[in-house]
Amino acid sequence: MNPTRNGPQVALFDYGAGNLHSLAKGLEAGGARVTVTTDWFEALDAQALVLPGVGSFGAAVQALEGHETEVRDALLDGLPCLGICLGMQLFFPDSEEGEGSGIGLIQGRVRRLRARTVPQMGWNDVETGEDPLFRDLSHLTAYYANSFVCEPEEPETVVAHSQYEDQRFAAAVRRGRSWGVQFHPEKSSRAGLTLLRNFLAQVTP
Amino acid sequence: MLRPRVIACLDVQDGRVVKGTRFVELRDVGDPVELARRYEAEGADEIVFLDISASHEGRSTLLETVRRTAEVLFIPLTVGGGVRTEDDMNALLRAGADKVSVNSGAVRDPDVLTRGARLFGSQCVVASIDAKWSQEGPAGPGWYHHTHGGRTRTDLEAVAWAKECARRGAGEILLTSMDRDGVRTGYDLELTAAVADAVSVPVIASGGAGRAEHLRDGLTRGRADAVLLAGILHDGLTTVTELKEALAGWDIPVRLPDAAA
Repeated sequence: MNPTRNGPQVALFDYGAGNLHSLAKGLEAGGARVTVTTDWFEALDAQALVLPGVGSFGAAVQALEGHETEVRDALLDGLPCLGICLGMQLFFPDSEEGEGSGIGLIQGRVRRLRARTVPQMGWNDVETGEDPLFRDLSHLTAYYANSFVCEPEEPETVVAHSQYEDQRFAAAVRRGRSWGVQFHPEKSSRAGLTLLRNFLAQVTP
Repeated sequence: MLRPRVIACLDVQDGRVVKGTRFVELRDVGDPVELARRYEAEGADEIVFLDISASHEGRSTLLETVRRTAEVLFIPLTVGGGVRTEDDMNALLRAGADKVSVNSGAVRDPDVLTRGARLFGSQCVVASIDAKWSQEGPAGPGWYHHTHGGRTRTDLEAVAWAKECARRGAGEILLTSMDRDGVRTGYDLELTAAVADAVSVPVIASGGAGRAEHLRDGLTRGRADAVLLAGILHDGLTTVTELKEALAGWDIPVRLPDAAA
């Protein structure tokens, strides 16, 4: 059985900027059939949605404009979603990075890192908990490239933490079947591919 | 805790990895895709491709090389060489680069850093600085930034230029000491520390790595966030794994390949 033919059908949303190849290949390595799309109708019709972490907040909210409610409702309805870096930040109502609104799936703020060196660029340890996204990943070190972090209002939405300089921040959040990760699994070598597989395992449990 | 990075750099020309010192005496050392994968397996934290093709054909070959690499590489890839406009940046990012480094293009048009940061995020924009000591620059003795693969000296003092690049939107500085490049006597620690202290974005030390002690010194005394190496890997003198094990032995908290499993 060829997993690429029978795995879940995943929509990878394209905001029009940045590298999507590695993420598409990483998801395919986990058995997904990946469609890269700029069309929200098609994206919300897939078995799972992935919001990639490339481009700027401004470019992404432009692509989202007019569809915020529709996307939020689909996720609240149970469409499995993985938001990566900027894609995670889009779960929140807005961001200090720029004008425009995210989908408001999780309440809270997206704020600039309070650190001497920004962006945070490189591999950082992730304190993972019991969430199935982190299955077999109790000692995760993942690749980050971010200037902003999410600060959810409800601490129970945070399912993993990392520490950068003096700031402890949300490495991952979850609401229902939507997960957001601040790091880049598609750039985190074998451990990152394991995380993508764990996400796909949640799509068709 | 953020791990100090060890970055493998490949000079690419017409789709092949070449190495002499970066600025002269090139010879073919292999296929970029294959080498990039090998370095990922050895535990490299990132890969950098610097394209030194002069021709138009070489540039389209580069996009194809980046595309092939992005499909099999699962660590970050930075690509530089000949980037002048945000369209050039976009073409490389769309082909599969995670970051783009800009050198001559930023001297000609410093605003390209700002436009790139606005469109793609500053974490995608790397300012590449090739610094060489000169007794007689316009700002007096100091390190001066060079363009065009090191052939042209500018009037830009390297530390001030690094600050300017960061202010304009670069999210990282790739700092090469031309005096040390290919010499294998260690990074220029004075230059590296001067730039690292002056900017609030990460600094990659480049030029001069010959053995593990040099990497250690670059990360400690040079205060670099990352160290870049090329020649000693391609020549098979050592491996990323060996270098990282040595660094870990000195209590430098690098990511070890086992931890990545």
